[in-house]
Amino acid sequence: MREKIAIGLAIAAAGLLAYDLYQIFLVLPDEAMQGAIYRIIFFHVPAAITGMIGYFVALTLSVLYLSSGKLRWDSLAASVVEVSVIFSVVNIVTGSIWARVIWGIWWTWDYRLTSALVCVLIFSGYLMMRRAIDEPTQRARLSSALCIFGCVDVVIVWKSIEWFRNNHPGPVLSIRTGGGTIDPAMERMIYFNLIALLLMAAALVLVRTRQEATAREIDSLRRLANAA
Amino acid sequence: MDPRNFTFMFYGFLAAWLIVLLYVISLARRGARLKKELEDVRQLVSSAQSGEAARLEDRVR
Amino acid sequence: MPGVQTPGSSHVRPLPAMIGSVRQALSVARKDLAIELRTKESLNAAGAFAIAILLLLSFVFDVTSEETRNIAGGLLWLVFAFAGALVFNRGFARELPNECLDALLASPLSRASLLIGKAIANLAMLLVVEFVSLIVFGIFYDIRWWLHPGELAAAFVLATWGISVVGAVFGALTVNLRLRELMLPVIIYPLLIPLLIAAIEITNLLFSAQPSQADQLLWGRLLIVFDVVFTALALLLADTILIT
Repeated sequence: MREKIAIGLAIAAAGLLAYDLYQIFLVLPDEAMQGAIYRIIFFHVPAAITGMIGYFVALTLSVLYLSSGKLRWDSLAASVVEVSVIFSVVNIVTGSIWARVIWGIWWTWDYRLTSALVCVLIFSGYLMMRRAIDEPTQRARLSSALCIFGCVDVVIVWKSIEWFRNNHPGPVLSIRTGGGTIDPAMERMIYFNLIALLLMAAALVLVRTRQEATAREIDSLRRLANAA
Repeated sequence: MDPRNFTFMFYGFLAAWLIVLLYVISLARRGARLKKELEDVRQLVSSAQSGEAARLEDRVR
Repeated sequence: MPGVQTPGSSHVRPLPAMIGSVRQALSVARKDLAIELRTKESLNAAGAFAIAILLLLSFVFDVTSEETRNIAGGLLWLVFAFAGALVFNRGFARELPNECLDALLASPLSRASLLIGKAIANLAMLLVVEFVSLIVFGIFYDIRWWLHPGELAAAFVLATWGISVVGAVFGALTVNLRLRELMLPVIIYPLLIPLLIAAIEITNLLFSAQPSQADQLLWGRLLIVFDVVFTALALLLADTILIT
């Protein structure tokens, strides 16, 4: 059943992505100032938002684990974090390639870029730490706490373009600026791609949780074998 | 305008999909490994349960 | 008995109970500091480490250059963060022999008070290390750090409190791990980077003769926000973190 949902989500994501790519490359014109390269925004921004939504979902799941003690929430949180880290990496890499053309450099230490990198570091640390600890409840407690503290940085990433002077462009989406900074047709494509990436992320999370469940089963069988 | 403008757009999309693709491949490989491990452990458990009596005899000897 | 709560009810409480838990936290801190004063294990290790690093750094670049002043805050806070990990590792590990941690958890002490008490002890020890390092730093690197003593002290206390709370929380969570000494720094450094950036920026500002008021305010406010958020999270999580 879960496989079928995952496959369904992946197909929906693929269909929407095909439509989006057609629109992005063949319908929307080049941007006046930046030329063709601006199209990176259609993956850069949705990947960032997907990652951040993922971290906040993982935060909720971590709180659920701490209040209920059910390991299911913990493995779900770990799956969500893993997929979110992938999208954050996509965000940083695409942004870096854009910066090479527009700014002439791959990287600069402004607050947006730094906090986004720190975010990837924190949650990569989360994933590495999970591999280093074998005892499930100890691992779950430590990773939940780390996820909750880590989300402080996610808020900083989110708000840094309003709080600090940055090289990174300020907010463009109408929900943050009140409108007028981006062409509505382009903004619509950002949201369409966001939906596509969210569907894809959900499919990946489902596959990943299935693996977590298998790993738990192996673990308990091992214990059984040791006991016998 | 920078002549690399268009090529770098291509690189950007390529990089984004490459990262996702690599993750999907690693996910699939991990899934296959876990499946195999599960089979192995299942076999271990069933052989341990059937071999219990034989091992006890060994220990007595 | 005043100030005694069951672990579940420690979040919202009237003023007298709150004073009670602050008193509990202070007594935990006093206990830890008394032990530390007798053995000096954390202070010696962290202090020796900090001074050794400060000496080594003098070979990395020209200490007489004007540049030093611009990177002084960064150097100091890197040293403090590393020295802090040494202190935090000992915080809860100190309670492991003779099952002292189990005894503390079984006592009528609230979990939140225990955690905050440990953080206060961390704060006090780290501040001592910082003060000694600052004097050594001033001598070796010709930095006039006493230009704005009040602001500098406030900035140091605010930044160090944030580090200490995180150190106490994750010190408690890693205390039973086999790889405790390795895991703690790996976990806390990324979490502390935003706070350390704020600490470095404000320290650099305060080493200069005419620091910008606006920037001081920005970084100071950020440090306060980190302190409030980290302390609140520590209080909320205390009951689930500290389990026998």
